[in-house]
Amino acid sequence: HGHVHKPKVGEELNVTFILKDGTQRKYEVCAGDSLLDIAQAHNLDMEGACGGSCACSTCHVIVDPEYYDALEEPDDDENDMLDLAYGLTETSRLGCQIKMSKDIDGIRVALPAMTRNVSSSDFE
Amino acid sequence: MKWTACRDLALRIGLRHFSSGRKAVSVVGSGPSGFYTVCRLLAKSEIPLNVTLWERLPVPFGLSRYGVAPDHPEVKNCEDTFTRCAREFGKGLDTRHTFTFMGNVSVGKDIKLRDLLDTQDAVILSYGCSGDHVLGVPGETSTSGVFTSREFVSWYNGHPEFAGDNDKLKSFPWSKVRNVGIIGNGNVALDVARVLLSNRIPELWSNTDINPEALEALNTAPIENVKIIARRDFIHSKFTNKEFRELWELERYGIQGIIKPEYLKLRPADLESGDRVFKRRVEMVSEFSLPFDQRTKKNYKKHRPPESHRYWEMDYLKTPLTINSNSKGEIESLTVCRNSLTPSNRVEQHLTETLDYDVDVLVTSLGYGSSPLQEFGPLQIGFATNRVANANGHVLDTSGRIVSGLYASGWIRKGSSGVIASTMSDAFQVADAVIADLESGAPPKDRVLKTTGLDSTTWEDWEKIDEEEKRRGKLLGKPREKFLSASEMIDFIKDNR
Ligand SMILES: Cc1cc2nc3c(=O)[nH]c(=O)nc-3n(C[C@H](O)[C@H](O)[C@H](O)COP(=O)(O)OP(=O)(O)OC[C@H]3O[C@@H](n4cnc5c(N)ncnc54)[C@H](O)[C@@H]3O)c2cc1C
Ligand code: FES
Repeated sequence: HGHVHKPKVGEELNVTFILKDGTQRKYEVCAGDSLLDIAQAHNLDMEGACGGSCACSTCHVIVDPEYYDALEEPDDDENDMLDLAYGLTETSRLGCQIKMSKDIDGIRVALPAMTRNVSSSDFE
Repeated sequence: MKWTACRDLALRIGLRHFSSGRKAVSVVGSGPSGFYTVCRLLAKSEIPLNVTLWERLPVPFGLSRYGVAPDHPEVKNCEDTFTRCAREFGKGLDTRHTFTFMGNVSVGKDIKLRDLLDTQDAVILSYGCSGDHVLGVPGETSTSGVFTSREFVSWYNGHPEFAGDNDKLKSFPWSKVRNVGIIGNGNVALDVARVLLSNRIPELWSNTDINPEALEALNTAPIENVKIIARRDFIHSKFTNKEFRELWELERYGIQGIIKPEYLKLRPADLESGDRVFKRRVEMVSEFSLPFDQRTKKNYKKHRPPESHRYWEMDYLKTPLTINSNSKGEIESLTVCRNSLTPSNRVEQHLTETLDYDVDVLVTSLGYGSSPLQEFGPLQIGFATNRVANANGHVLDTSGRIVSGLYASGWIRKGSSGVIASTMSDAFQVADAVIADLESGAPPKDRVLKTTGLDSTTWEDWEKIDEEEKRRGKLLGKPREKFLSASEMIDFIKDNR
């Protein structure tokens, strides 16, 4: 899993992941690849339980506020899943819904410490 | 040696793997919690493991296969992860660990938990909740037309204990059902409402793996009204916004939601103190309750609805009192009383203010109930309300002491709530605790677990069933067509070994 493309020379985009222990990983990636695909291709700790279908919230990332506004707004489906993400912040997004593009070249995202949700996930 | 012969030999000898030095771990239940526990153990353990996954049914995946609604196939994608893990470690592609699936074996019945505890270095209980909670009102168990959500959900999902050979709902006179009551306020209640109201819309169901016999029966029901009844108020809704939105969005098929304004009189304080989830829920109701042209946001104006002919209604602050039936024992109505909430949020029932709702079917959706395994008594394993007694996944005995080598994860650890994402992180945390104990604990027990006489199914058996289900589904333009009876599964397996 985690199918990513090799960027053409001169068209590389950059993304930095800040891992749970604080270490940073920077990758050169291709436009169109999702943050979930990139994370999985590099074996980062991002589960992506629903395979990137916006149905699980296990790909939650916290976006560096400097880049947040450059992203298109989350749609209802993404917001509904973000409701269930543990440790939600003002700049939280779902990694499977963010596709790399020139507009967000250099984006930095942090993986939240835990993906556990305790409050609003009742399934009775 | 052919693999079948290998398998027979392995079964005769019992489950000990030839390269000893590995620690033996058994996980009980192959739903999301059991499987995520397995995957985590195999991915993270530094010491070599022989992991065995036990499952009561011939086939894996628990409520991902038999709970999650057929029109939510993307939620079931976690099964792809489980399959990758089973293949990688079950087929010897990874030489450190091994993985064995033992389907069709009920732990506690076909194999003793005691034997697992004696032979395994760790045992993790992940057997979920396969019982029902009851309302405890007169008529609940004796009246025809009263179902629990678990019965109904298991039926439309083709669970072998509720479909096929064991189908009791198919013969119910669905063609007389116009009004349905659902008691409960969680996502399962909304799933049930969605299925009841929308099952006649082919584009929503014909390309899903819903039990076709259930669909056919439901299609005969001229359902007009589904009332979703809750003890508390709108503020205390338990469902998630995703499921709520799906219900509202059925308006494009002429299925309209109703919440009486009296239930939506929110105090400014409620709105201010409400969290993001609550505020979004309020916005959703306010927008969808408006006539289409008066809505303010464009995401609520995607599809102009046709004239409505079916309705769902959220009914708040009621407690069911009695289920009333006719002389043939068929449900006729439900008597409820009004409730109010005290400032400290306790439900206060007003027993003299009663109402009668005419219903042809009543579904109680009170959460799935869990039960102790029979051996918990003699083994003195503790059981709390709806869960195995445990401290962070370490199972406790009846005096509150940790039972060495015994753990619990998922719904049996926490009770029946939580989506797959939270079940997953629970399983990961418990697996990490197990790994820490295994890495620091005694040397492997290295004892043989006798599995003679078990009529178990293997992972390869499941893959053949899976392939066959997908083949049958493809002919009909669906992801799969499930086997509906355990006997049919077993026969197919025997013919294909
Ligand atoms: C109707 C319904 C709809 C849902 N929809 C969604 C959804 O859309 N999205 C979402 O994220 N979550 C959903 N959930 C929640 C999700 O299904 C649960 O979070 C998850 O399945 C819990 O996993 P579990 O492994 O603890 O239990 P289960 O999935 O119940 O697994 C337990 C397994 O143990 C087996 N077992 C039981 N007893 C024994 C025994 N004695 N020996 C061996 N095996 C045994 C059972 O057969 C079963 O396979 C839904 C739940 C329900 C009930
Ligand atoms: S991978 Fe499931 S929501 Fe993103």
